[in-house]
Amino acid sequence: MSSEEVKVEGACPTDEVRIGVYVCHCGLNIAGVINVKEVVEYAQKLPNVVSAKEYIFMCSAPGQDLIREDIKKCKLNRVVIAACGPEMHEPTFRAVLEEAGLNPYVLEMVSIREGSSWVHYEDPEAATEKAKDMVRMAVARARNLEPLEKMSGEVKQRALIVGGGIAGLASALDLAERGFEVHIVEKKPVLGGHAARMGQLNVEGRKVSGKDLVDYLVKKVKDNPNVHIYTNAEVTKVDGSIGNFTITVKLKPRYVNDKCTSCGKCVEVCPVTAPNEYEYGIGERKAIFLPFEGAYPNQYVIDPETCTFCGKCVEVCPEGAINLDEKEKEITLEVGGIILATGHDPYEPPVGEYGYGLSPKVITLHQLKRLLSEDGPTKGELVIDGKRPRNIVFISCVGSLGTTPNANQYCSRMCCSASLLEALHIKEKYPDAQVFFVHKDVRTYGKDENLYWKAIDNLVKFVRFEESPKVTVGKGEVKVEVEESTIQERLVIPADLVVLVTGMEPPKEIEELRSLFKVGCGGDGFLKEAHLKLNPVESLTGGIYLAGTATGPKSIAESIVAGSAAAAKAASLLSKDTIEVEPIVAVVDEDKCSGCGICVSICPYGAISLEKKEDGTRVSKVDPMLCQGCGTCGAACPSAAIQQNSYKDKQIIPQILAVFER
Amino acid sequence: MSDGDGFEPTIVVFACHWCTYQAINLAGTSRMKYPPNVRVIRVMCSGRVDPQFVIEAFKNGADGVLVAGCHPGDCHYVNGNMKTMRRTVMLEKLLQDMGIEKERFRREWISAAEAKKWVEVVTEMVEQVRKLGPLKLAEREVVMNE
Amino acid sequence: MSKPKVALYWCASCGGCEEATVDLTERLFDLVEAVDIVFWPIAMDFKREDLEKMEDGSIDIAIINGGIRFEEHEEMVKLLRRKSKIVIAYGSCAHLGGIPGLANAYPREEILKFAYEEAPTVINQDRVRPMKKTTVDGMEFELPDFLEYLKPLDEVIDVDYYIPGCPPTPDLTWEAVSKLLSGEIPPKGHVFGSDKSLCHECPLNETKPDEIKLEELKRPHQVVLDRSKCYLTQGVLCMGPVTRGGCEALCIKGGMPCTGCFGPLEGVYNQGAKALSFLASVIDIEDEEKYREMLEKLGFDPIGWFFRYSLAKGMIYRKKGDGE
Repeated sequence: MSSEEVKVEGACPTDEVRIGVYVCHCGLNIAGVINVKEVVEYAQKLPNVVSAKEYIFMCSAPGQDLIREDIKKCKLNRVVIAACGPEMHEPTFRAVLEEAGLNPYVLEMVSIREGSSWVHYEDPEAATEKAKDMVRMAVARARNLEPLEKMSGEVKQRALIVGGGIAGLASALDLAERGFEVHIVEKKPVLGGHAARMGQLNVEGRKVSGKDLVDYLVKKVKDNPNVHIYTNAEVTKVDGSIGNFTITVKLKPRYVNDKCTSCGKCVEVCPVTAPNEYEYGIGERKAIFLPFEGAYPNQYVIDPETCTFCGKCVEVCPEGAINLDEKEKEITLEVGGIILATGHDPYEPPVGEYGYGLSPKVITLHQLKRLLSEDGPTKGELVIDGKRPRNIVFISCVGSLGTTPNANQYCSRMCCSASLLEALHIKEKYPDAQVFFVHKDVRTYGKDENLYWKAIDNLVKFVRFEESPKVTVGKGEVKVEVEESTIQERLVIPADLVVLVTGMEPPKEIEELRSLFKVGCGGDGFLKEAHLKLNPVESLTGGIYLAGTATGPKSIAESIVAGSAAAAKAASLLSKDTIEVEPIVAVVDEDKCSGCGICVSICPYGAISLEKKEDGTRVSKVDPMLCQGCGTCGAACPSAAIQQNSYKDKQIIPQILAVFER
Repeated sequence: MSDGDGFEPTIVVFACHWCTYQAINLAGTSRMKYPPNVRVIRVMCSGRVDPQFVIEAFKNGADGVLVAGCHPGDCHYVNGNMKTMRRTVMLEKLLQDMGIEKERFRREWISAAEAKKWVEVVTEMVEQVRKLGPLKLAEREVVMNE
Repeated sequence: MSKPKVALYWCASCGGCEEATVDLTERLFDLVEAVDIVFWPIAMDFKREDLEKMEDGSIDIAIINGGIRFEEHEEMVKLLRRKSKIVIAYGSCAHLGGIPGLANAYPREEILKFAYEEAPTVINQDRVRPMKKTTVDGMEFELPDFLEYLKPLDEVIDVDYYIPGCPPTPDLTWEAVSKLLSGEIPPKGHVFGSDKSLCHECPLNETKPDEIKLEELKRPHQVVLDRSKCYLTQGVLCMGPVTRGGCEALCIKGGMPCTGCFGPLEGVYNQGAKALSFLASVIDIEDEEKYREMLEKLGFDPIGWFFRYSLAKGMIYRKKGDGE
């Protein structure tokens, strides 16, 4: 079998294959190394090649004209361009083909510049030989390329936002203000995420709390008629694809309806308690509770995990707002785009890591922030074990930069600024406090740099470590031992309070999220951007955008920026009536498909399903709007029945064979 | 190509569009040098690389085959490279059982930024295969119907 | 009108294909009624000279089973080709190399050495090997030589049709022969059997969930298979997805996963490589170390698992002339 013998099915079946080959000089970039004339002469002799030409810049207007004219004159039905890679000029040349009346997908670009002249410039002869091989391979592949039609689908001009934290709220507001209907689904019974409990923030020296920001956004969001908010709700099923998703949402029972006036009588009688997750484990809450003061919705909720359903709260509620028989409900939403603003979890040190969990004197940064917040459990008074601490030691990079075996490798980005801000907060509030900042590094980047200098001015003592410090918890005593790496001296600091500066982690539910929405995760476990730099708020799946800390550690400001950016990206999709997708998707030959389901099992996007036919047998069906064109199904299909357009076996195998048809 | 001294191997490379192919481009734009013995076939995802392709390459004259894609966790298509991982691990053993030295088949994770790694891998592989010489398999006359 | 002339011949095979012919049972009488069997050395006393004497192209159908491993096979099938209008490769060995084709994983010398010297049941102190020519009491004898590799039939002669299977089922045999005799001539190269994989006709296909994700693999001897549930989903390799149907799913019904004897479907270049690919794809392990460990523990043998019948076709050879 040779590469010519693999027959073309479907594409111009009656036509003879007529290929044009165009070799670009790219000034001297190619022609300075490769003997272009030789390549052109070689190409002319290849089977099915009816025209081969060279030009100084194929992408220039005269170069494009040359190809256009040739296509018409020589009645070409395939075009090979040997120049740069497809990234830059594939769209240019596809347009040229279209203008000349050819289908844009019968184009093959072969990069003899990046792939040969730029890397083999010391051996022009080998570079020329390689270019010839590359052209021959491209011709072999082009021979079997097929014309493809772009596919389009309807766009539902509504958005789903998963997560009602600061990023989700920012996205929702931006989209709603642009006139789109927005549905926010928040898993917790309240909006605001971590930001609502973040305490003081560094806003150019002004005293602004996370709660203030959340309140501002929540007010705007809830007053906007385009926004629909579902708290205590979870997405359980995602069907469809870009432009046309059907979302199933489970509305968990709250057991308390909106007649609740937050009088608090129910809490007094509730007999069961649980650690208060809204205070990061400081203190306890009842089974019926208000997550925090001024929460939205400002309505009590029962945690069914803790509640014994004794009914005491029902008896005392003056408004009759409590219904212990409330059942779970399900709704479906039809949306065109999805923004995942699913946030992060704070790193939770295992018991014993830096003495955590062994003494009330060892707490996390999140807990400290709650203690110092005016709406916190101590109304902003720093009291530890009944006393106000004097010697306070911060240990940085807990759970980050690989400082402990359990820690993540990345920098959590925000913790340096957040902890120095609290250090200054303490210094301001209790000037006699001694604050040590035991750090691996100080990364108060950008506008937060002033925090570092202010901390130095305010006599926060910076202690640098290479080797992670040791925290020993004795009888009522806590000591931090650290080898100061600058002065190379071992310090032992007695501490009344050790604050573990904890970073951010992907939320525990990340795996479920990933499989539910068919989005990818990066090596750090956070959701993965389509491109870290070029498409930082788009996921790898069409129509799904990412905002906030879902993709990795971010500050509140950055989360809001990402929320707005994701909204802008979503808006550009939602503002269309229809969407076009690249047709390099998988296609099934039903005559060959035996319904074995291998492709269904491995599609990363759930784009393939088995369809029952009238005779009871099953065949695979591809949803072209969901398919992203990776082709992994084609590699696995045991019947060669599913093939990826433009990357079919009959297109790749001749290319392999052509390597050796020298 | 001759059997004796001066043997120049041909290595067929299957490169995914998003990572390895971009690393190859970056090597180009950075004018990094590497041996001209590689012939690259671009696929959208290394998950598209059917083990049949590798066998066809060897059957038709490849002295070595390299399958390269994004690092684990970095696949543009969620987990296409994990299928590549599972297939290539099996394939590695199959090729060895078929009498092909292990240096002739490689799977590498090369990200878009790792032009240097691309150059190193290719240079090393060409060198190793050059030392091994041409594929030593029984020649067989295939007459009919193929 | 004279009856169509049919020849049957066997090469490197186990005899199962001949059994399969006999398994036509009563239909064999219909066959004998309908055709003249002009050559069938295993059943009747035909000599090579009988065949040589026939006119070229005078046999209507030659049905050949077994792979080509000896010079004799090569000579005989070439002769049969010359004498016949239609040649059918019958059974897995003629079609793909079959079980004897597994020997292609070893060089000729290693096989001879093992068979005549090292096998535990062999006593051969003088290390006598079969020789092409030998003289006994002044008489010279010649034996056909053992070839370097086993070849499927179509790598030695031009083959018109294939009847796959190890062995082919009597029904499929009957169907194919009656089609050809009735003048219903399929395009050259046609493989009888289904155009779809075994899954399509598998009685257990109904029980297969839409998605298959295997947390671990098992060898058939390590599990008691639930015979009412798709075997692949139970973690054992079933070659059904990558194997042509048309066998009536006999192994499946007998409680064994498919081993792939009907060969690949059209468009599949290499049955074994495809089998490897689909199986690797549905294993749900992303940790490479863990994956390697699992394969190691199973005694992973890709040739044995995936190429049981198709090694002679699927093995990597260099085409003659390429390596120079």
